[in-house]
Amino acid sequence: MDSSGRIQAVSKFLLESPPGEINDVLNDVRNIIADDDSLQQGIAPALREYNLAQFITVDVPGTDHQSIISKIALVGNPSDDENTSERFLDPRSNTTFKFDHLTLEASDPQPHEPDDASEPFRAALEASVHAYLSSHFSDGTAAVFSYQGSPTVFIIQIIANKYNPSNFWSGRWRSEYEVNLESRLMQGSIAVNVHYYEQGNVQLSANHEVSLPLPPTILQSSPTPSAAKVLALVESEEGEYQISLTETYQGMSEKTYKSLRRALPMTRSKMDWDKVLGYKLGAELSAGKGGFS
Amino acid sequence: MSDPLDAMLDLMRRLPPTQIEANVSALVDICPDYADDLLGSVDQPLKVKTDAATGKEYLACDYNRDGDSYRSPWSNEYDPPLDDGTIPSAKLRKMEIAANEAFDTYRGMYYEGGVSSVYLWDLDDGGFAGVVLFKKVLTPAQPTENYGSWDSIHVFEASERGRQAHYKLTSTIMLNMVNSEKRAGEDGKKSSGEIGLSGSMTRQSEHDLPVQDPTSHITNTGRIIEDMEIKMRGLLQEVYFGKTKDVVYELRSAEDLEHARRQRALQKELVGFIKR
Repeated sequence: MDSSGRIQAVSKFLLESPPGEINDVLNDVRNIIADDDSLQQGIAPALREYNLAQFITVDVPGTDHQSIISKIALVGNPSDDENTSERFLDPRSNTTFKFDHLTLEASDPQPHEPDDASEPFRAALEASVHAYLSSHFSDGTAAVFSYQGSPTVFIIQIIANKYNPSNFWSGRWRSEYEVNLESRLMQGSIAVNVHYYEQGNVQLSANHEVSLPLPPTILQSSPTPSAAKVLALVESEEGEYQISLTETYQGMSEKTYKSLRRALPMTRSKMDWDKVLGYKLGAELSAGKGGFS
Repeated sequence: MSDPLDAMLDLMRRLPPTQIEANVSALVDICPDYADDLLGSVDQPLKVKTDAATGKEYLACDYNRDGDSYRSPWSNEYDPPLDDGTIPSAKLRKMEIAANEAFDTYRGMYYEGGVSSVYLWDLDDGGFAGVVLFKKVLTPAQPTENYGSWDSIHVFEASERGRQAHYKLTSTIMLNMVNSEKRAGEDGKKSSGEIGLSGSMTRQSEHDLPVQDPTSHITNTGRIIEDMEIKMRGLLQEVYFGKTKDVVYELRSAEDLEHARRQRALQKELVGFIKR
């Protein structure tokens, strides 16, 4: 396999990393490839893709909060492969910053001018999403973006991670909602990934897409009450999803798992091996010149 | 720098169990020198093949492979045919036939479907070794039903010591279950999604058991494997699935945390009030 094929193969491994384990996967990949120079350059696009897709959080310079790295947070043109730093927006502090996809560090904060038309509604959504966060996530980060060039479309992003390597588990909850006051629709997606790996490797991978009409009382002209209603929709959707996830677990554990392999045979007792082998079979084998010793 | 093989095995512990075949084959392409070590250390989902002579299905893995051919436990023939393919000694083949029958009964009782295969081979020290395989796949007939697959691989070594035999067992179970949903409500709400739960786990055990005649090896390994499968099935269900579900609730609390915080604060206040 040539060098570019190898880079392509290990890039796929990186993109499949369980929550919080990309550094472990990267370490393994370094040991396997044993060529740090070509690796560092080659995997830069995969690391960038991973950070954007997985809503990696970063401390925003000059603030005491974190922001989300994602496609919508990108400012300006995406950088080429030679430059791993590109700029992202933290809408909460109206700051843009450079972000290094390898070291995961932010630098060079610059003030950012928000869009007057969309800012009141965006800020109201931001206040509501933080209230929602503190109600249901003990370790979550959220960000609300207005859509460039269209003051009636907003993106809400929520990310919660828990990493517990000493107890061999990690988990990630990601959700994203596009609130469109023009088409009167909210489109959302929830992704949950969990890895439990104490003497084994068990993974939950769940995705959920939803689209629902916005009630007529949600209006751009009344940001605060409307934003609270949007987040009430999010809360009910995520709450329902969590219940349906639990029900699916129940169904899988009771039905699917049992259809694959029963806990015990229909007789409710273990197999009678002596009986199954039977006397005839035993006699036949024993006739074959005594034993195997 | 550590051993690349250790790094590969660590990767297999981290990457999604559903991707194991693709990832092992990628690693083999990257490091062909480690191919044998890797293929010998990482269990992969079993392939179902059909015995041309008997029409019966059997399972293919590294243990019944010779070159590019696989031996069927039912006809003892290789497919594609081999003139000099490795086969067990006549004595061991006799036991292999009996073991396949016995574990096929076991398969029917526990799996109510699926495929089983047992392969035995002679060891240089006079003992023998074997692998007992089970595979079951649930293919949904309707979109509301779940997909599921189960692979069991039990590798054992048996050595006789007088009237006793010592057994060393290594068991791996690989599992994958997928639930798909698609809904459209009257309120204009549409939703769809997929929930996948997958896993692999390996356990080992050793046993000393009495041997009266050759059938004892089948009843002994039968009981050991039965106990191991029951134990591992329970562990996967109770511990592993239970844990992944608990982590979801660690990420997002179904209860309102603010409400709980307010209640705690109120309680504190009340305690302070009573103390005063």
